[in-house]
Amino acid sequence: MDRSGDLLPGTFEMLVLKGVSLGEMHGWGIAERIERLSGGVCDIQQGTVYPVLQRLLRRGWVVAEWRVTENQRRARYYRLTAAGKRQLADEISWWRRAIGGVDRVLRAEPREA
Amino acid sequence: MSWLHAARQRFRDLFAGERSDRDLAEEIAHHLELETERQMRDGLDRAAARAVAHVRFGNSTLITDAVRAERGNNLLEGAVQDLSWAVRSLRKNPGFTALSLLTLVLGIGACTIAFSVFNTVLLRPLPYRDADNLVFIRERNAKGDFRPPSFPNFVSWREQTRSFVGVAAAMFPYARTVAGSGDAEPERVPSLEVTKGFFSTLGVAPAVGREFNDTEHTPGRPRVAMVSYEFWRNRMGARQPLGTIRLGDNPTPVVGVLPPGFKFLQPADVYVPNEGNPGTVRSSHNYTVVARLRPGATLAAARAEMTTISRSLHAVYGTETEAVDADVRPLRDFIVANYRTLLSIIFAAATLVLLIACTNLVSAQLARGWHREREIVVRAALGASRARIARQLIVESTLLVLLGTGLAVVVAFGAIAGIKAVGGALIPRLSELSLDLRVLEFSVAIATLTALIVGIFPAVRLARRDAGQVLRAGRGGSSVRSTVWRALIGFEVALAVVLVIGSALLVRTLRNILSAETGFDSHGLVTAAITPAESDTARFDEVVTSLRALPGVEGVAFTSNLPLQWGNWSGPVRRPSDPKDRDWPAMAGFRVVSPDYFTVLRQPLLRGRAFTANDRVGAPGVAIITPGIAEKLWPGQDPIGKTIATNYLFNDWLTVVGVVAEASSWSMPHGTQNEIYVPLDQRSGSLGQQIIAVLRTEGRPDAVMSATRAKLHAIIPHSPAQIGTIDDRIAKSAADRRFAMLALTAFGVIAIVLAAVGIYGVMWYIVSTRTHEIGIRMALGATAGRVRQDVLSSAAAMAATGVLIGLAGGAYATRYLQASLYGVSRLDPRVYLIGTAVTLGVAVLAAYVPAWRSSRVDPMEAIRDT
Repeated sequence: MDRSGDLLPGTFEMLVLKGVSLGEMHGWGIAERIERLSGGVCDIQQGTVYPVLQRLLRRGWVVAEWRVTENQRRARYYRLTAAGKRQLADEISWWRRAIGGVDRVLRAEPREA
Repeated sequence: MSWLHAARQRFRDLFAGERSDRDLAEEIAHHLELETERQMRDGLDRAAARAVAHVRFGNSTLITDAVRAERGNNLLEGAVQDLSWAVRSLRKNPGFTALSLLTLVLGIGACTIAFSVFNTVLLRPLPYRDADNLVFIRERNAKGDFRPPSFPNFVSWREQTRSFVGVAAAMFPYARTVAGSGDAEPERVPSLEVTKGFFSTLGVAPAVGREFNDTEHTPGRPRVAMVSYEFWRNRMGARQPLGTIRLGDNPTPVVGVLPPGFKFLQPADVYVPNEGNPGTVRSSHNYTVVARLRPGATLAAARAEMTTISRSLHAVYGTETEAVDADVRPLRDFIVANYRTLLSIIFAAATLVLLIACTNLVSAQLARGWHREREIVVRAALGASRARIARQLIVESTLLVLLGTGLAVVVAFGAIAGIKAVGGALIPRLSELSLDLRVLEFSVAIATLTALIVGIFPAVRLARRDAGQVLRAGRGGSSVRSTVWRALIGFEVALAVVLVIGSALLVRTLRNILSAETGFDSHGLVTAAITPAESDTARFDEVVTSLRALPGVEGVAFTSNLPLQWGNWSGPVRRPSDPKDRDWPAMAGFRVVSPDYFTVLRQPLLRGRAFTANDRVGAPGVAIITPGIAEKLWPGQDPIGKTIATNYLFNDWLTVVGVVAEASSWSMPHGTQNEIYVPLDQRSGSLGQQIIAVLRTEGRPDAVMSATRAKLHAIIPHSPAQIGTIDDRIAKSAADRRFAMLALTAFGVIAIVLAAVGIYGVMWYIVSTRTHEIGIRMALGATAGRVRQDVLSSAAAMAATGVLIGLAGGAYATRYLQASLYGVSRLDPRVYLIGTAVTLGVAVLAAYVPAWRSSRVDPMEAIRDT
């Protein structure tokens, strides 16, 4: 079954928030984090992090800043704001509840119905 | 604090859109660099690593668009963004854009022009002060026909009515010989005799000088004149003081100049007071009466009062007047009522053209949507909402429509001059044609409507498509369902068929009118009208000899009225046994003609003899009549030798010596135009103002016309001739039909072209989407000819459905054209056959290039390329 990139709606935004929360990072780094940490399950088109980052910026959950990297190159670094932290916490707790619920349904035995 | 961040970010983005774009480009470049480095660490060489980085990143253009879309749901910025997206998208496809613009210009341009004609002729107030209060009054006879009023009836109305602040009349216009100054060359110009207060009733003040005063309207006073602004400028050198002009042989002082462009019903150059020399017979019909409603008076009340007055006049004067009632209606209705139907039809035709244009644009957008489907789907996958995608598509088509409308208005503006030139002589008021605010408002309204139709339908359809389905299916799999194409093509073909039928009916009508039976041979007849002085009568023989000698002239005769022109002199006819004051057994027109008249016109003599040189003064009075008079007065008897008289023109008894075939025209059908002909040599005193030389010519009449003018000028220098042909007059009598025919034919051609473009586009699209399928068929052995034929026949099938609907639509719609047709049934099968053949032929022709392309598909390539 081919399900690559087939994420639940809204989850990608959560993953990007999480990616930023792990420490100030530029777009590539965030995409790379998500791929690496998911063990390759979330094989995203890297470019798609940018529209999401733009949305997070507009909602005030992240801020961005141009800085010089250790290799002396200009890069735009994203950092989580306090509101972003709260939002991420909200989303994580929603996600836990959601998969818990889904999981309970999937584990159900015939006699429980 | 998050709102503060958000607000700051938005604010910054709003004013730094371009900077943000540069930032993003740099960000993406940096990203690609980092990814390339990582791939190189995994062992790829630089080029391969770079390629992989690009693939892993995805389509950067789409990502950039998506980021832009995320930047603002801010209205202003969103709009700017949509607009720039639309501009880029239109510029990327110059072919599509140009064709769409052309389509829009044709559709909206046609509608704008048709509406400006409609507006100018029917909607705009007449160019008089408070024109809506002006009414037109006519007599109504016992049969219920409306007739022009007589002068005595007009005077009685003017004395008795209380509903109007002004009642005025003008005599039927006629041509006069006028010279702008004492030594200028005289020419024939249209003139109008008017009663007291004519111009003040219309609310027109002279541009120079004054209107006629009451003294100048008194009998016995020396004549004065007013002139048109154009005559004053061109023939009098715009001189002041106005001085005198020569009217016929008489020097006449000019008291005033009318404002530029002034006319009443028809343009005239010279106006003279009428009341010093009025008509005196209550049963004659040669005045036009106009009145201005008293403020507060209603049309209904005025009508009621005029009815009362007319009844009491009839009670007093009995058969002396034919009027039993009066018809009062707004002046504008009278002037343009006859044109309302035809102009509405033209307007409706333009609307059909616009609908066809819209259909084309809708199908083009849908077909193009196929090419953009993946782009749109990726945008959707990147988080752009359906509403937003739909909005962008709508902005794009709106931009297209706005550009098209702008161009259409420019084109319409340019076309106005041409339409004025062609139509000015065909339709009243069309010489005033211009684009005013109302026309521009109308164009904006139809543009909005067009944008809605063209924008929303494809946008909704395309935005609704399921992302996963499109991405999985690849290029060939998804296409707009063929029922949609069938419906769109069918619709525009049906509209085109209706237009072709309409214009074919009018073409036939016009041809029938021009070839209608007249009772004589009108082709090649040249007429020259002159206004001779008393002394010129002696030179008529010289005129005949001199004109007869012209090359190409076969015969010359004289008549008091132009052939096919009636109504100047007409009245009751009686036998000796009829009492003088009872209802007349017959009415007839009178015509004074020279002996050769019937030979020259080739108007067949049915019984008896024509006039001869012996029918002169002193010989017994004779007449030739049309069969209708004979049947009414002496049914079943030989009319030759019987005697007739009329109280109206001649008091002596006339002996009928011949019966001649009736001359009739398409508008005055056979059996309605009884005439009494009398010989010129006996009745030269009854000629009236003018005499007309009729020339029978062979070959082209143009050369004869100018030679005739020169000859007449040499013999009668003080009366310039008005030269024309009878066939021209017949053509002019169908001017409204000609205008409608030209308009409908133009729209029909545009409709066919648009339908062809539509069919071409759709077939091209269908062939493109089926390359794969066609490839397989050809691999399985289908020949190129077979494939081509399939494409052509599927186009023909689509068009055929439309043709059937169009034929039904034509059968319905032509009922509105019924009254304007002549000699052709609105259901004439030949016309419907033409509509079918033309449209189907064009449909198949339009499908030919796509069909040819389909047969050139390389099976191997088509199958591989999926």
